[in-house]
Amino acid sequence: MSLQFLNAFKFLKKDTIVHNLDPRSKLIFAIIYTISALLFVEVIPLLIILFTLIPIIIIGRMFRMWFRSITGMSFLFLLIIILNTLFISFNFGIAMVLRILIMISAFSIFFLTVDPNDLALSLISMKVPYEFAFSFSLAFRFVPTISREAQNIIDAQQSRGYELQQKGIINQIKNLFPLLVPLIISSIKRAFNVAEALESRAFGSNNERTYYYSIKFRSRDWIFTSILVIFLVIFIIIRLNLNFLPSWLLWSFPL
Amino acid sequence: MIRLKDINYRYPDGTIALRNINLRIRKGECLAIMGQNGAGKTTLIRLLNGLLRPSSGVVYFDQQDISNQTIASMSTRVGIIFQNPMHQLFSNTVEDEIRFSLKSMNLTKSEIEENVLNTLVKYDFERYKNRSPINLSGGEAKKLAIASIMCRDPEVLVFDEPTLGQDAKEINLFIEMLKSEKRKKKTIIVVTHNIEFAFQYIPRIILMKQGRILADGPSSKLLTNEFLVKNASLIYPQIYSFKLGLKKIGINVPDEIVKDFELIEFLSSYIKNQIES
Repeated sequence: MSLQFLNAFKFLKKDTIVHNLDPRSKLIFAIIYTISALLFVEVIPLLIILFTLIPIIIIGRMFRMWFRSITGMSFLFLLIIILNTLFISFNFGIAMVLRILIMISAFSIFFLTVDPNDLALSLISMKVPYEFAFSFSLAFRFVPTISREAQNIIDAQQSRGYELQQKGIINQIKNLFPLLVPLIISSIKRAFNVAEALESRAFGSNNERTYYYSIKFRSRDWIFTSILVIFLVIFIIIRLNLNFLPSWLLWSFPL
Repeated sequence: MIRLKDINYRYPDGTIALRNINLRIRKGECLAIMGQNGAGKTTLIRLLNGLLRPSSGVVYFDQQDISNQTIASMSTRVGIIFQNPMHQLFSNTVEDEIRFSLKSMNLTKSEIEENVLNTLVKYDFERYKNRSPINLSGGEAKKLAIASIMCRDPEVLVFDEPTLGQDAKEINLFIEMLKSEKRKKKTIIVVTHNIEFAFQYIPRIILMKQGRILADGPSSKLLTNEFLVKNASLIYPQIYSFKLGLKKIGINVPDEIVKDFELIEFLSSYIKNQIES
């Protein structure tokens, strides 16, 4: 189903090295990979960056989840390749797809391995006000709920003859209304319910709040982030002067 | 009419929702699927129109394997009315909502308009026909969701928790509708937690537990069976508890009396006899 890619952002509790890293170091990881992906438009360097992600995905035991969500987005990738081939070049299309793949993979590693509660704590430790940190983590907490609801809506509409696949771009856009309208309405309703539930539990009544759990930046986090920063610095140096690279790394599709 | 043969279903995340389900549902039958939350009831009904495809096993509809039928074609024969009506209402008006359900049915424009009009009258929506479905009350929205499936006139009607969140009057309206569909020889499947409702109005019950069928039989037997009631997180229907109470004080009510009006008749004749003697 087309909504499966949302699974790439659903936290699952597991006991692996990747899961046990501090959320902040994983946030830095996701950001550094995003920046690295944006540094290059050459296919080979992007491929190399993408391949460096795979060991982390395997160590974190989330390969299947990741792979499924990537295949769920294949339609989008195809669209990017086609549009780019028509207007720019095939090579650029592939590079863009790789870029998006890297960014999505990096952030999906982040969201798959960071408990939403830890996420809020890590934001607070970065001096983000509690209300904002809380709503941020709440938003991620609701991703699986909304994806389940979206599936229910698709099922309900299909049960009365709605067809997911339609011909023509205009029909496809029109076809989204029966799914989006109920989804948006029920999300808004849920937002009000959650707000009321929070207020009835005296949310925000006390300025000085304490936390039950705490997070710690351990030595392995320092090692992990320093390796990442070193890589980023190397990438930036290479970007500033592409002459450092052997010519085969700059190879591109002839189209 | 519907036959499920050796059905197993496993969700993509690995949870096994159905194990070795074998079931036959005859045409015109009315049955309820009951059992605790997570027993696999909702998964089971989603197999009936192809929303989910079994991991192994075959679903037959009129002796035909439905595995190569599309959801769209199955949905004209099996209408599933989901729990939350807000999951399907999206149009600007009540009228449009019903029209949307008919658009995929290969009808001419005049046939669609005629059907819309009939449905509006039948479900008492004429007054609201230009109102937005989003502003309807919970009960009205549920009724509209039902109407938007019923207008397609499917052979099999599947209701997921139809009495949930409904007030007494709305439940009565639903029961009346159920009775009239029963008279039309429609096959009716109801997923419900409402024991009183199932006991009084549904002849056959399928009890599920952890993806398996625990029991299949007449509601008067199943819902009064001590073992099953304990094992499927149920409680006795009020009328049966009342009969047990009567038994304790020495009034033995015959087993075949199950409905409320039968018990009233029995008790009035019993009291009459007591006074006379």
